[in-house]
Amino acid sequence: MDASKELINETNLLLDIASLLMVSGANTNRVNLSIKRFADSIGYNASFFISQKSLIMTLYKEDSAVSCTRVKNIPGLALNFTIISAISKASWKALANNWDYNQISEEITRIKQVKRYPQILVTIAVSLAGAGFCNIFKGDYLNMLVAFVSTFIGLLVVQWSHRRNYNVYLRIFIGSLIASSLAAIGVKLNIGEKPATALATSVLYLVPGVPLINSFTDFLDNNIINGLVRFTTGSMMVLAIALGLFISMLIFNLI
Amino acid sequence: MTDILLKLLEVSIWSGIAALGFGILFNIPKTTIITVFALGFLAGIIKFTLIHFGVSIILATFLGVLLVGCLGIPIAHRIHHPPVVFCIPPCIPMIPGYFAYETILAIMNFLILEEDASKKAALIIDMVSNGFTMVFILISIAIGISLPLILLRKSTVKKV
Repeated sequence: MDASKELINETNLLLDIASLLMVSGANTNRVNLSIKRFADSIGYNASFFISQKSLIMTLYKEDSAVSCTRVKNIPGLALNFTIISAISKASWKALANNWDYNQISEEITRIKQVKRYPQILVTIAVSLAGAGFCNIFKGDYLNMLVAFVSTFIGLLVVQWSHRRNYNVYLRIFIGSLIASSLAAIGVKLNIGEKPATALATSVLYLVPGVPLINSFTDFLDNNIINGLVRFTTGSMMVLAIALGLFISMLIFNLI
Repeated sequence: MTDILLKLLEVSIWSGIAALGFGILFNIPKTTIITVFALGFLAGIIKFTLIHFGVSIILATFLGVLLVGCLGIPIAHRIHHPPVVFCIPPCIPMIPGYFAYETILAIMNFLILEEDASKKAALIIDMVSNGFTMVFILISIAIGISLPLILLRKSTVKKV
């Protein structure tokens, strides 16, 4: 009884790690590698099926009938590269020092508590990135200011709608609509040398770069289904961005 | 000459800042901040220098991203973070946002406004050329970033 409980705990821990990695935006191959290392360190073999919505995992030993199979649902995407990096490091340490269940579980609890950057810093950094984009597309400093302001306010709205738990595509649509409307006002007032660059870059902070790049690496690793899911998610997000831009251009009569 | 150099430097620094901004949105570890900025800057300087010498934007983007991907593996060993963590943010400033915008603009004009057939033909040219440039830049980003990660992974994976 006690041994089987332990096995169930271990399976749950590994499922927890896999789900944490998927939520943080790791590609499927990285989840595979990390889980294999952790399973090795606690002395089991792990076979598992990863999809975007749920995980199925069996822990077993080669020469015995003892095994445990569990299913876990994965919550929505919340990109966090610090967690990916920390789990990867922990998996190396676990494998090198043969960590047991308690050590791994302590480390994972510690990793989960790692702080994100403060929200205001994130907002300013992303707005600066928007201004940088504007410079890349040959806008001058006034255009960059417009891009900065529209990204800033758009991102605030996206964060607000995130707290209200709106649908993710609706969130992106609203963010794109508001940011591009603000930039469109800049075009109407003819601020700067090439106002169109500010309009084009104001929505770029929403671009789903991580799902799209991950989808491609998944394809190359032969994780076709996960790749397709990520690609479809990314394309839907791009559609939502385009729709927001479309509508604000219609409203402001910029065509 | 100095003028051009300064301009290149300026735009590359802004691509570094854009890379860093997105890195912070993805919550990269604090120790990778400098790496992300440097990689974004390097990718930018390669891309814009090549464009300045008349290389097409698609090839220039591909080479810039490929450099990020190839540098990622040795850097990963030095600073002990998995390469994806600091290879994805520097690629974000490469995204062809302006071409996407031009494509959408042409499509809207084509669908809603224009009646004249010859102007419609000109809009189709706009649509196709901007649209395909955008698609090919996206493909070259995807290949440029994932190819080194996959090719170099088997040979240089850390031994326990």
